[in-house]
Amino acid sequence: MANPSDRAAAREGAGESEGRSPDQRGSERAEASEPRERRTPAERRAREGAGESEGRSPSDQQRGGAPQAPPVDPKYNWSSTPKTVVGTRVKRLDGPDKVSGRAKYTFDVTRPGMLYARVVRSPYPHARVVSVDLSGAERVPGFKTALVHRDLKDPKTAVVMYQGDEVAAVAADTEEHAIDAARAVKVEYEVLPAVISVDSALAGRAPEVFTPANVRAGRTDEAGDLAAGFQAAAFTIDETYSTHVITHVCMESHGTVSEWDGDKLTAWVSTQGVNSARDNLASGLGIPQTNVRVICQYMGGGFGSKLQLGPEGLICARLAKQAGAPVKLMLDRKEEHLVTGNRPSSAAHVKAGVSADGIITAFDAESWGTGGAGAAAGFPLPYIYQVANRRRAHKDVFINTGLQRPMRAPGHPQGSFNTEIMMDELADKVKMDPVEFRIKNLPPEAPNAMWRSYLREGAEAFGWSKRHATGDTTPGSIKTGMGVAICTWGGGGRGPSVAHCEIGSDGSVIMRLGSQDIGTGQRTLVAMVTADALGLQPSQVTPEIGDTQYGVSGGSGGSTTAASTSPGIRIAALKALEALNEKVAPALGVAADALVARGGRIHVKDTPSKGLSWAEACKRIGPQPITADADWQPGMTSATTSGVQFAEAKVDIKTGIVRVTRVLAIQDCGLVVNQLTAESQCYGGVIGSLNFALYEDRILDRRTGQMVNPNMEWYLLAGMSDVPQIDIRLKNMAERGVIGIGEPPTVPTAAAVALAVRNAIGVTVRSLPLTPAKILQTLSQKA
Amino acid sequence: MPRRKDEPGFSRRSFLKTVGAGGVAAGVFAKAPGVDAQGVNAVGPGPVPVTLNVNGKLLRLEIEPRVTLLDALRMRADLTGNKRGCDRGACGACTMIVDGRTVYACSTLAIDVQGKKIRTVDGLASGATLHPVQQAFCDKDALMCGFCTPGFVMASVGLLEKHPNATPEQIKKGLDGNICRCGTFSRVFEAVASVSGRGARTSAGELDADATPLNEGVQRG
Repeated sequence: MANPSDRAAAREGAGESEGRSPDQRGSERAEASEPRERRTPAERRAREGAGESEGRSPSDQQRGGAPQAPPVDPKYNWSSTPKTVVGTRVKRLDGPDKVSGRAKYTFDVTRPGMLYARVVRSPYPHARVVSVDLSGAERVPGFKTALVHRDLKDPKTAVVMYQGDEVAAVAADTEEHAIDAARAVKVEYEVLPAVISVDSALAGRAPEVFTPANVRAGRTDEAGDLAAGFQAAAFTIDETYSTHVITHVCMESHGTVSEWDGDKLTAWVSTQGVNSARDNLASGLGIPQTNVRVICQYMGGGFGSKLQLGPEGLICARLAKQAGAPVKLMLDRKEEHLVTGNRPSSAAHVKAGVSADGIITAFDAESWGTGGAGAAAGFPLPYIYQVANRRRAHKDVFINTGLQRPMRAPGHPQGSFNTEIMMDELADKVKMDPVEFRIKNLPPEAPNAMWRSYLREGAEAFGWSKRHATGDTTPGSIKTGMGVAICTWGGGGRGPSVAHCEIGSDGSVIMRLGSQDIGTGQRTLVAMVTADALGLQPSQVTPEIGDTQYGVSGGSGGSTTAASTSPGIRIAALKALEALNEKVAPALGVAADALVARGGRIHVKDTPSKGLSWAEACKRIGPQPITADADWQPGMTSATTSGVQFAEAKVDIKTGIVRVTRVLAIQDCGLVVNQLTAESQCYGGVIGSLNFALYEDRILDRRTGQMVNPNMEWYLLAGMSDVPQIDIRLKNMAERGVIGIGEPPTVPTAAAVALAVRNAIGVTVRSLPLTPAKILQTLSQKA
Repeated sequence: MPRRKDEPGFSRRSFLKTVGAGGVAAGVFAKAPGVDAQGVNAVGPGPVPVTLNVNGKLLRLEIEPRVTLLDALRMRADLTGNKRGCDRGACGACTMIVDGRTVYACSTLAIDVQGKKIRTVDGLASGATLHPVQQAFCDKDALMCGFCTPGFVMASVGLLEKHPNATPEQIKKGLDGNICRCGTFSRVFEAVASVSGRGARTSAGELDADATPLNEGVQRG
C-alpha cells in the first residue's frame, strides 16, 4: 500500500460516495479524481510523506487497506432517527476541566520518581559528529543517565542534516539539572558545507549535499494544447508567486512521558494519533505493539505536526529504560521551531493567458518549494480553477533545515495563494470583477463544488458591490480594499475506527474508542452522536478516548476524525439500544422493533405514553452491561467540501502596515455535528491563515543557516488586537453525511487578505508574508 | 519584583515596539534579586528554602534560586493548571496573578515572589463552581485545545478585577499579551465582554476597526 496511486484507488474503492444519488456520485468522483490526476509525482510524494494521506500512519494504511466495507444498513443511517442533538450547539463537555486547569496534558503528567530529559542538538545545519563525550554530563549534580542518539561509526548516521538534529540526550532528577547536563555534553563536529538558500540550490550554486542532487524534478503534468491556448489569449501574464516556510507552533510542545514495567511501556504522548504513536514506539523500539500503551487525554495543539512520533519519543523511552525510572521529555520552544515540522515553502513561475471574454486559455507553470533536508514540497496548481490547456512542472528543493510535516491543509494554502493572486491579475487584464471572473473559470456546481453559489451569496453579504477597482484613490495614507478566495478539502471518513458502547443497569452509558482530541472537541462529539442515537442528553454519556486500550481509530488529521469516528459511534449506540429494547419489550408487551428511544425514554413508536424512563428501562439490563461494537461503514459520510472567503483590509501606505478589518467565511462540511465547535474551527482557520498572510515567518540566517527567530517574540503571531471581525456562514448539508472541517477554513484567508491589500494599494505583492517592508518596497517600485 | 504584564506601556506588542525602537524600557525588567548598590549578595546555586503563598495556602519548597514561579508550582507542587508555552514571557500561557497584578510566571523567579499573594488558575474555581470568567469561556466556546486557556482566563480575571466594566478596547489591549494558536480570540473576546457586563454582540474587530491607529499593529523587528 506504499504506492500513492494504490492508496488513492483504495480510498476511491472505500466507497465514500455510496448511498447517494448517481448524480452526486458522478460529480464527486469527477471532482475527487481530478486533483489526483493533476498531481505531479513530487506532489504525491509530498502528500505521502506529509501524510495528507490524511494523517494516517503506515499501519493505519494497512488497516485501512480493506477496500470494500459493507454499506451501512439503512436502519443505522443518520436519517433513521430525528436529530435531536446532532446539529445543535453543545458546549464542550471538557470545557470545565480545561478552564480550571484540571485537564492533564502530557506536559502536566507527573509520575513517582520521574526524571526530566533534555536532547543535545546540532547547532549546525550540516556537520559530521566526530565524537560525543558524556563524561561532563555525568558529573552534573542530579545526573541519572545519557545516550548518544546516532551511530558515529556509520558515516551516514554520523552526519547531522539540520540545526536541531538530535545528537545525544540526558536525564536528571530535575529539569534544571537536565539542562545543565545537556550543556555539559561535549560534541565535536566537523562542520560541512550546507545548502541554505532555495535560490542558490536552484541556480546550482549551492554545495552538493543531497543525493543524487539538491533539486529533484518531478513529473510534468500536461493537458490540452498549450500553444493553442496562448494563441487564443487576448492577454498574458508572466509572474512569480511564492509563499514562505512557517512552523506549527503548537502551544503544548511535542513530548512524552515514558514509564516501563518490565518489558511493557506506558507512554503519555502529546499526539494526534494514539494508535500511530503506539505503532511508531513499538517498531522504533523493536517490541510488540501489545507491549505499548499510549495515553493522550488532552493535547495542546498539533496542526499536523503530531501525527507522527518524533525521535524524542523513542529517546524518552530509551532513557527511561536505561534509568529504570519514568522520564519526561518535553521539547522547548526553540526545538519546536527547529525539528517538529513546518509548512514547506512554495513558488510558481506562471505564464498564463486569458481570452477577451475572461476564460483562462493557457496555464504554464514551473513550480518549486522546499520541505527541508530531503522532504518534498508539493502543492496543487492551478488550485481548483479549470484550465483546459495547461502544463505544470514541479521541483522539490532540498536545503539543510528541519523536515516539513503536514500543516493544516497541506499544500492548499500555498496552491491557493499562488493561484488566486494570478486570478485577480488576469481579471484586471480583461477588466472583469474578480467574483465574476472566478465564476467563469470554476468547475461545474455540485454538492462538493458550491463556489459559484457561495461567491454570489458572499458578495451580497460582504458588500462587494462597494469594492472599487484596483487601487484605492481616496486621499490620505490609509487605503482600503477587498479580496476574495476559495478553497476545497477532502476530509471524509474511513475505517477502521471501532467504537465500543456500554449501557449499565444504572442507566450509565460509556462510549469508548481509540480516538483523541486535538482540540476540535472530539470528546463532545462522541457524547453528542451517542446521545442523539439513544434519545439522551450528551451529559448522560461518558465519552472515553485518548488511550490505545480503547481500540483502533485513526489519527486526528486530514479533517477525517469526525467522519471516521461518528458512524461507528452511532452504529454501536444503536446496536446497544436494540439489545436494550429486547429486554424492555416484554414489559411493554410489544416487539422490540416497535420501540424507540426519545427524550430520555424508551417507548412504543408513535405512543410516547406507553414506555419507560431511561433509568427504568436500564434496570432490566441486569448485572452484565449491554455492550456493542461497531466500525465505520460507508454511507454515513462523504468527502470534499467547498468554501469561499472575503476579506477587507486597510493599509497604511506610509508605514506599510496592514490591518485586516473584516473576514466573511462561507464553508460547508456536510452534516454539521456540533454547530458551536464547527464554527470555532472556522474562526481558528481564518486566524491561522491571517498569521500566514501577515505575521509568522521562519527566518534563516543567510550565512549560517540557523533560524534567527526560534521563539515567540520574533516569530510573530496575531494577538487579539490584530484579529478582524469574522463572520461565519456554516452550510449544513445533512444529506451528505459527516465530512470534516478542521482544514478548509484555513486555506483561502491569506490569499483573500493579499488581494484585499492589492485592491487597496494598487500594486501586487506576489509573495507572503505581507510585511510592512515588502509592501513599502513594492509601492516604491511602482512609484 | 515580578515581571508585570499589565504595566502601562507593557503589552506584548508595545514591548516588541520598545525593543524594536532600540532598547528595553526602564522598569520593564526589575533589578535582579540580591543585587544592590553594595554589590552582589548571592544565594544559591544550591537549593534554598522558599515559601510561597499560593491560592491562599503556604507552600514550602527547597529549590534553586534560578527556578521560576511557573516551574516551582508545576514541577514541585503539581499545580499544573498554568502552562509553559514559550518560557520567555511572550505567549502568556503561564499568566498568574501576583498581588493583584498579572505576571508571566515563566519569567518570574519563585524566590522573588515570597510574601506575595500568588493566584493560579488551579485555585480560581470554588469547588465545582467555576469563576464567571471560566464559565463564560465554556459558554462561548472560547477554547479549543485549551493549552493557552488557563493563561487567558487568568489574564481576563486580572483585567476585569482592575476594570470591571472593561471596554472592548481595554479587553483587547489587556489580552494582547496572550497567544492562542488554535485561533479562539474572537470567542475569548465575546466571553470576556459578556462578563464585563457590557454584553457581547460584536466580535473582536468590529468596534474599533477605525479607532485603533494602524501603527499599533504588530511590528517587525
